[in-house]
Amino acid sequence: MTVAAISSIVVFLVMFGLVITEKFEKHYVTLTCAGVMLIVVFGAIMRDGNAIADTLNFYSLVNPNFWIGETPDSSGIDWATIIFLGGMMIMVEGLSIAGFFRWLCMTLAKAVKYKKMPLFITFMIVATILSMFIDSITVILFLAAVTVELAKLLDFNPVPMILSEIFCANLGGSATMCGDPPNIIIGSKLHYSFMDFVMNTGMIAGICLIVIIFYFYLVYRKEFNKPGKEIDIENMPHPTAAITSKFLFTGNTVIFACAIAMLVTHANTHLSVAFIGATVALATCILNCKHLKEIFSKVDYKILLFFIGLFVVVGGLEKTGILAAIASFISRVSGGNVKTMIAIVIWVSAVASAFVDNIPFAATMVPIVKGLSVGNPALQATLAWTLSIGTDIGGAATPIGASANVVGTAVAGRNGYPIGWGKYCKTAVPATIIVVVMSMLIIYLRYC
Amino acid sequence: MDKQVIVTIGREFGSAGHEIGEELAKRLGVKFYDRTIVEEMSKAMNLDEKELEKYDEKIRTPFFSRTVRGYSNSPADIVFELQSKFIREKADAGESFVLIGRCGEEIFKESNNHVSIFVRGDKEEKIARVMGKYNLDRDEAFDKMTRHDRQRKEYHNSRCSGKWGDSRTYDLCINSSPVGVEPTINILVQYIYSRIEKFDA
Repeated sequence: MTVAAISSIVVFLVMFGLVITEKFEKHYVTLTCAGVMLIVVFGAIMRDGNAIADTLNFYSLVNPNFWIGETPDSSGIDWATIIFLGGMMIMVEGLSIAGFFRWLCMTLAKAVKYKKMPLFITFMIVATILSMFIDSITVILFLAAVTVELAKLLDFNPVPMILSEIFCANLGGSATMCGDPPNIIIGSKLHYSFMDFVMNTGMIAGICLIVIIFYFYLVYRKEFNKPGKEIDIENMPHPTAAITSKFLFTGNTVIFACAIAMLVTHANTHLSVAFIGATVALATCILNCKHLKEIFSKVDYKILLFFIGLFVVVGGLEKTGILAAIASFISRVSGGNVKTMIAIVIWVSAVASAFVDNIPFAATMVPIVKGLSVGNPALQATLAWTLSIGTDIGGAATPIGASANVVGTAVAGRNGYPIGWGKYCKTAVPATIIVVVMSMLIIYLRYC
Repeated sequence: MDKQVIVTIGREFGSAGHEIGEELAKRLGVKFYDRTIVEEMSKAMNLDEKELEKYDEKIRTPFFSRTVRGYSNSPADIVFELQSKFIREKADAGESFVLIGRCGEEIFKESNNHVSIFVRGDKEEKIARVMGKYNLDRDEAFDKMTRHDRQRKEYHNSRCSGKWGDSRTYDLCINSSPVGVEPTINILVQYIYSRIEKFDA
């Protein structure tokens, strides 16, 4: 192994370790490690200016195909993912300012006449659907807050509902390209469209959702079938009270609908995800021009910086041949057997994502999937869907596996319902195992 | 008492800090909060007391919790936040009280009517007190004392800007062993009244 390869592994492991320990903010960690990778590994050790330019990947931004057309192949920083994520974050803040999410939750609660069991099932479905298009952190932030509010009004324990919402948000995230950051990375790096995800991971998530709703129903039915308080519907918060401005509400909802339409059709229109992200961001900024300060103060720019640093470090592993070596190792272990490869990718991804951030894991695995399926696009697609399901669903197993879990359990805790590992894992681990096993079987049946 | 006073007490295990705090509250005619704060908080917020008690004065377990967008999902962090908010609300409502542990001196460090105290003790005296209170032999008492002090130190230092037991962290640090518990209380009462006189009305 070369000095450059060893150095890139050391940088990667240090980055991973520091991200997990949370001693420092994780964007500082990835950006610092990215700096070390560029200066020390590429500059001082490899003396390769092209590797630095390839990894920074600035030239992709001026390629017209980056915006409209077939996205060019690239390694290193995936600017399309960064721009898309940033754009969607801005759009979501616009929706929040207008009161969209609270209005939606309250409207649904009213529609089911504030009855606990229908509310429980409806909120699981809402968590799944919203997470298909919006980052699951935002979805859970709003759903968990409304759940706690309704729990106080209707006198029930909000924890079972929040736990099932978290799981469904992770499941929904796996269904589309923009549902979860690992999917954006997979789709963008391996050139899959929104509809490719819907037809593959979306189909798997849809089947699993039915089973999972039934599972959570069985687990928590006693909790929600208990007779509760008499409900005076007139005294419940009115959904329209959540809307801060009808103009902004309508405008931001239209932008959201356009974003979904553009994503659904982008394989036909050839609009790249970067273009879609930039367009919705621009439209949101124009519409909400009086609230720009508020919007930009809430956009999680740290995650974007985290991504930039992460892409550089993973690019280092790619350039020094480490990821190709791992791909070749997996290929040898599996003896070239596709079923074994699928089993390795799905279970390793699921177990790893349950304990470590699934974003760096997915970013690392994408080049490995590429390496495992050179010259075989069908295998690449199968492994891509396997990786997506493994990382997205595996993350649901523990309170630290995915950001939505952290935010959901934190919101419950802040309202006086702390959720420890035992309580969380008691229902989430079996649910995760059910979905991973089901997904693996569906993948075997459909693709092998 | 005309003026509001908040007394926070940090203490070494076996130093009689708890006993001293309880007696101080009686003499000052104010409320006394120790782990009872969890009970009171649970009642006020209609929450499960046992669930909250599990995480009272506990530290965040490394690797088992994460923070996303400022939201920590560590139950220990969450209970600390809830507790701090609850105690702060009591202070904001004008209540006077003595608070044992729970990083009180950090919570009220900006407050003008706050007196922070740390009670320590001599090793042998602390061991003897622990042996008597918990019916333990010397080694067991020493182990218990060491374990509790380590936990208190970790809990405090992970949440506060000042160090546990460091004289710069508190208004007054006192060793309860040389003069005994009762004289220590008398000294503290005198000190607190002197401080109260200086408080703004």
